[in-house]
Amino acid sequence: MSLPDLYALREQLTRDGTMLCFNGPISRSLLEEIGHALKNYLEAEHARPAAASDVFAVYIEVTQNIRHYANQRGYGDHHAVATVVITRHSDGRYVVSAGNCVEPEDGRGLMARVRELAAMDKAQLKTVYKEQLRKPLDPGSSGAGLGLIDIARKSSEPISASLRETADGKAFFSLSVVI
Amino acid sequence: MKDLTISATQSTPEVRTDSEQGILSMRGDSYPENTFELFGPVIQWVEDFLAGSARPLRLDLRLLYLNTSSVKVLMDILDMLEDAHQSGRDVSVAWFYDVRNERIAELAEEFKEDCSFPFDIVGEEP
Repeated sequence: MSLPDLYALREQLTRDGTMLCFNGPISRSLLEEIGHALKNYLEAEHARPAAASDVFAVYIEVTQNIRHYANQRGYGDHHAVATVVITRHSDGRYVVSAGNCVEPEDGRGLMARVRELAAMDKAQLKTVYKEQLRKPLDPGSSGAGLGLIDIARKSSEPISASLRETADGKAFFSLSVVI
Repeated sequence: MKDLTISATQSTPEVRTDSEQGILSMRGDSYPENTFELFGPVIQWVEDFLAGSARPLRLDLRLLYLNTSSVKVLMDILDMLEDAHQSGRDVSVAWFYDVRNERIAELAEEFKEDCSFPFDIVGEEP
């Protein structure tokens, strides 16, 4: 059995400017606790209040989307597994990245939606946001459609995503948002 | 009419109603996973208040961060106020925020765009 090389991991995380990173099942309370910690970090390093708000908001939307998706798909609470990395760059920008396992078909749908949103400017995003807000919720839907638009609105660059098919017939979807 | 007193948690705002004065106040963050648990009774209170009397209703808000499902619920509440306003009812919103965080003012502004009743957004110095 090989033991984890924590020093190498730590060096890597430090080099990347990682503020916070998490991998594992994310419960409702853990999601809130990590969010609380994130808020405190941002405050401690005197992030601009608007940037701190955006980073926190994107973190909440991506992780709640992951939990909603796992519930919707009947993965069960222990299978709401998320990989979340939040980094701070020397130019003052933050990157919130989050990934989760999805059904390949859902992943392809998400990729298409991300491409659509990434091509829109702020005014277009606002229009689709308001339209989505007015749409009645589909039964069984969690309103995740609105979350992704909100994330795109808070991003200072077009949102980007990737999808990788995995050996077990599923796919890993990951989304990165620059604040 | 039964009033609501709901304490804040990490992810839910403090909610208080005063049916004598016609005030619904909410303060804090709102990002619960299940918005209906929290807002179901609030929507019910607004419905009952509007149906059960002709008195003015004021929303007193000091909300900070809202996740998108909370935004949707608040929009629904404001739509109820808008309908009441259209039928001549005296309704209003006052949203107070810390001037250091312009994101809250922007959020409040977007709600205001869809309301034709008095909606004040009041910046406060810390």
